[in-house]
Amino acid sequence: MNRATYASRNLFRRKGRTILTVIAIAVAMLIFCAIRTVDVNFMASVDDAMADRIATRHKVSITMQLPLRYIQDVRAIPGVTKATWGNWFDAKDPKERVPFFQGLAVDHNSWFDVYDDMVVDPAVLAEWKATPNGVIIGDKLAAIFQVKPGDKLVITSGIYPGDWEFKVIGLYMPSRRTIDRNSVILRWDFLNNDPRAELMKDQIGWILTRIGGNANSAEMSRSIDKVFDERDDQTITMSERAFNLSFLGAFSAMLTAFDLVSIVILLIMMLILANTLAMSVRERTNEYGVLRAIGFPPKSIFGFIVGESLLLALVGGLLGCLLTFVLINMMLGPWLESSPMASMFPYFRTPIRVMAMGLGLSLLLGLIAGLLPARRASRLKVTDALRRAD
Amino acid sequence: MVPIRYNVRSLLVRKVTTLATAGGIAMVVFVFAAAQMLGEGVNRALANSGRADTVIVLRKGSDAELSSTLDGERLNMLRGNPAVASSAPGGGVIGESVLVITAELADGSGGISNVLLRGMPADGMAFRPEARIVSGRAATPGTNEVIVGKSISGRFQGIAPGKTFEVRRNRPLVVVGVFETGGTSFQSEVWGDLDTIRSSVGRQSVVSSARVRLTSASAFESYRAAMESDKRLNLQVMREDEYYKKASEQTSGFLSGMGMVIAILFSIAAMIGAAITMNGAVANRTREIGTLRALGFSRLAILTSFMIEAIFLSLIGGAIGLVFVQLLALVSFPTMNFQTFSEIVITFVATPAIMISSLIFSIVMGLLGGLAPAIRAARVSPVEAMRG
Repeated sequence: MNRATYASRNLFRRKGRTILTVIAIAVAMLIFCAIRTVDVNFMASVDDAMADRIATRHKVSITMQLPLRYIQDVRAIPGVTKATWGNWFDAKDPKERVPFFQGLAVDHNSWFDVYDDMVVDPAVLAEWKATPNGVIIGDKLAAIFQVKPGDKLVITSGIYPGDWEFKVIGLYMPSRRTIDRNSVILRWDFLNNDPRAELMKDQIGWILTRIGGNANSAEMSRSIDKVFDERDDQTITMSERAFNLSFLGAFSAMLTAFDLVSIVILLIMMLILANTLAMSVRERTNEYGVLRAIGFPPKSIFGFIVGESLLLALVGGLLGCLLTFVLINMMLGPWLESSPMASMFPYFRTPIRVMAMGLGLSLLLGLIAGLLPARRASRLKVTDALRRAD
Repeated sequence: MVPIRYNVRSLLVRKVTTLATAGGIAMVVFVFAAAQMLGEGVNRALANSGRADTVIVLRKGSDAELSSTLDGERLNMLRGNPAVASSAPGGGVIGESVLVITAELADGSGGISNVLLRGMPADGMAFRPEARIVSGRAATPGTNEVIVGKSISGRFQGIAPGKTFEVRRNRPLVVVGVFETGGTSFQSEVWGDLDTIRSSVGRQSVVSSARVRLTSASAFESYRAAMESDKRLNLQVMREDEYYKKASEQTSGFLSGMGMVIAILFSIAAMIGAAITMNGAVANRTREIGTLRALGFSRLAILTSFMIEAIFLSLIGGAIGLVFVQLLALVSFPTMNFQTFSEIVITFVATPAIMISSLIFSIVMGLLGGLAPAIRAARVSPVEAMRG
């Protein structure tokens, strides 16, 4: 019997305790992964932002709009390859089938050129360009609303008064998994020509710009803002990432709290593991005395105990990863993605890197948990260890 | 019954194990209590913001002050009803302009957030008797002076006493004082002059919303019926307290719901921890248990004794957790009011109910974790145990 076998055999001496400890570690890993998954996927829209897209909006307030003519000024700036605009529609479902979905009123001529990560069939796009009250809709929302191309769709808005009746032209397809599949894209000019939108005539919510491959987005942002610096409505331009982040800004404290809390569960795990080891070591003090008496050096005793701790952490951690994969990636994730919560989490899976991080941390904490009992056991005098009984 | 001292001493003799297990339970209780304290903080901030004898009037369908607009004609229509307390400040009716402004965090991170700027007529401050100036002075009506709520004072660049910020080019607003409103969400707003603020954004002739003080809370139904019956006016009339309650339900429900789910998941791990410890206790004390049984203690007495020990263990953890959670009173937590997209800063609020429910939660963890080991202890056969 070699040393590794000895360390692992020890685990089977108190089967119940080993099993409980492994379960506790696995559960802790699962919870850690679940919390981090919320975090990672919540920020996915931010992290997946395109580096060559920048957004311009009113400097003072997200609710204030820019004059339509600004789009021409932006397009004239050297380095700008494409520019488009959009307005919030603050869409609501009159039948309340979904609590929240995104409604965007956009320029039909340029939107999908700038947003080429939303893929629209050319025939659908051509028909949409010819249909003022047409909308292009995400496939998941279309399924919830049970509409298909040609159907009419009634939506209300918190900003533009009244019921709005649209005609569904077709679907957009996401080219990335993090793209919201619950949006309705309608034509800005249709709203703008309606008397109900009179107060917001010729005003646009924000401008989205694509810049040439080697242009610097911070520099481009500055040069756009400089153009409007002397006008009544000044702008603030930022990378798409910062733009998306500014809507989530108030959640950042919550996400930080989540991060802290996910560490807490690992600390709980470490305490449980340390306790298991302390109990085992206490029970086996006599044996360690015997091992020392027959010639094993203290560092072997140390190694046995730390090895046992790491082995528990590894087995528990791997089981936790497996649980995460089955419960989150195969069950909870697919369910969430097709639930009304999908606007918040268009894609909810635990990335491998989160599992790897959890496994790494659990091994690290396993090491720490093992150090104290290992030190204590390896430092015992042989005579004391042999004499001691619990 | 086995003396309780037996259990206390058993826990004391195994300090490391007791502390490790109680520590795990303490962390779960901490998270459990913290989530509820946060939810309570949101409730304090939002749900208490409104008064029952005040109504808020919006454009129908807008649901929130931010997206609502009312013109001067409609504002006038709100007066001239016997339910209006016309002796109150502003004749019982004030129209306000609400704007969410982009502000850069003062911490140098470059992060931006949204702050609610409220333009109010001269009587706006008097209309809310709970508001008082805590430093500096009140803003002079008709000028570019503003006051900032205590919760966000200094959080954003330019929005602190003695500083200025711009909503329109070359027309700075000057912060002259700090106000508080007893912890409600108004305390996360900036208040200034109605005309200064609405003209800066080109909305001279309209307000966002109106507040109407009623002669009594019970006059609400008749007033609402009178105002909403005229379909041409297109008004939405709500009690102010209900308006804020609706806002708080979303936010506090979200925060405390998330926190509860997390705490309950955590408790699974802590219960397993308790079970491991109690299992070990039973295993190591089989002989003792045998002796107790031989002395005449019943199976039930043994079961009770180990359950008591488990409860003690979890109560130690619960108490440690509750002591540490009090430190959160020093922390303020910025979150988003979903109704206005603006930031509100809330504090963790501990109530006796939260403390008690947290202790009960820790006892439940002890009970569930200790049950199986206690049953095992009760099953110990005295003869075999003493034979070794």
